[in-house]
Amino acid sequence: MAKRKFLLGFSPDLVNEAIVYRLVKDYDLKINILRAEVREQGGRLLMEVEGKAGNIKEAVRYLNEARVEVQELATYVEKNEERCTHCGMCLSICPVEALTVERPSWRVRYDAERCIACGMCIDACPPGAMKFRL
Amino acid sequence: MKRTVAEINQRIKDGDVVVMTAEEVVSYVQSEGVERAAKEVDVVTTGTFGAMCSSGAFLNFGHSEPPIRMQRVTLNDVPAYAGLAAVDAYIGATELRQDGREEYGGAHVIEELVAGRAVRLRASSSGTDCYPRKEIDTYVSLNTMNQAYLFNPRNSYQNYASGTNSSERTLYTYMGKLLPNYGNITYSSAGQLSPLLNDPTLRTIGVGTRLFLGGGTGYVAWEGTQFKTNVETRFGVPMGGARSLATIGDMRGMSPEFIRAVALTGYGVSLAIGIGVPIPILDEEVMRSCAISDEQLFSPLVDYSVQSRNRRPIKHFSYAELRSGKVELFGREVRTSSLSSYLKARQVAETLAERIEGGEFLLTEPVAPLPADRGVGTLEVRSKEEAV
Repeated sequence: MAKRKFLLGFSPDLVNEAIVYRLVKDYDLKINILRAEVREQGGRLLMEVEGKAGNIKEAVRYLNEARVEVQELATYVEKNEERCTHCGMCLSICPVEALTVERPSWRVRYDAERCIACGMCIDACPPGAMKFRL
Repeated sequence: MKRTVAEINQRIKDGDVVVMTAEEVVSYVQSEGVERAAKEVDVVTTGTFGAMCSSGAFLNFGHSEPPIRMQRVTLNDVPAYAGLAAVDAYIGATELRQDGREEYGGAHVIEELVAGRAVRLRASSSGTDCYPRKEIDTYVSLNTMNQAYLFNPRNSYQNYASGTNSSERTLYTYMGKLLPNYGNITYSSAGQLSPLLNDPTLRTIGVGTRLFLGGGTGYVAWEGTQFKTNVETRFGVPMGGARSLATIGDMRGMSPEFIRAVALTGYGVSLAIGIGVPIPILDEEVMRSCAISDEQLFSPLVDYSVQSRNRRPIKHFSYAELRSGKVELFGREVRTSSLSSYLKARQVAETLAERIEGGEFLLTEPVAPLPADRGVGTLEVRSKEEAV
């Protein structure tokens, strides 16, 4: 079983498509929706997908064919290690503890796997080490 | 046990000085006792690394041909104060770029210069008989300037309040992002490593004290602004903002590792600086002060949704509690964040210890003491008569 995170972008004409249903039914994927929004420009869906590696690959192909923009999420938020001063301002901001401090070194670690791309750390980081990678 | 700065310096020169950081000395004193520790250890090094808004740099650009008396100066579009002699300027850390956006300011210019990069200098003048030139647009760096030194009116605050937010909306403050409904607590102190917490009455620190500043060497220039001594203490240490230092030091020799521009969203730009002061262990009393630990150092918690200078502390937390990552507030667990870097504070104290052990850094006696009794006044809207 593999676990991956994706950001899907829908043009307005796709907003009514039951895409998540297809992903569950046709590709046997376990879906955890982290964020969803519909705006004038279309919709965005942030989700964690669990399933057989082959099925996830097939599902991505289906999404591409359906003209859904697919972006893998490991690259959504990035920590610039040179910029980070390990102050720890982000620690009480991150809602899922993707940012933690290692003791006794007091080094701040970023676990991209845990990140749900809420972006709350970005404007909280004093030296500007956290950035969206869109 | 008594020891003088001169004796310590002799031991530094002889290569047998014993140095410990203010963190290492905590457990050393706990296991060996103050008497033994004072006998064994000559110097305790301290360190802090945090945003210090009251910082800036004096720069002398050299004269152009034909010469100009600079009246308006910008560096990478950040205005600098030029109401000085012809080609002198002061760039303050919190000054924002002319477009007013919060991402870039004087602190960034300072960091770029320290990193060895060139910055764009633009200056204008109305022109005089002796300084005919009216405009210049060029690049400068630490290599081209005659003098470039930090002169920081307030650094290394002795303790500081921690912040929280009782309101319904997120607050963007100089204490960082404060989440609604007491959603988090932020603090900013190196605690047991912090310079002025280890010598709470400034017995060994005064005007002229040589220190680690931004990776290079600096000095205490004066008392810091808003220096005050009349603060409630616990274990002999102030329980809130008290003393501070005005510091000075050549930017050449500083490193971007210890000079870092920071942007606090919704507040503006500030400069994070690494500062370390060596404390000569003159006697057991000095050692006792240096052995203070995070469990014995307290920070008052204030509510930043109260938009007044009179914010009463909600309660006091020790730095040990704050540093644990969460504390209990009104029966609820609240997560904490530090704005200053303990990792960097430790690097400062360790680097300073290495420099002393290596014979590169000698200790100084204060040239003059800092005030022993000083309060802080407020600003009121007054008439001319009331102000005198």
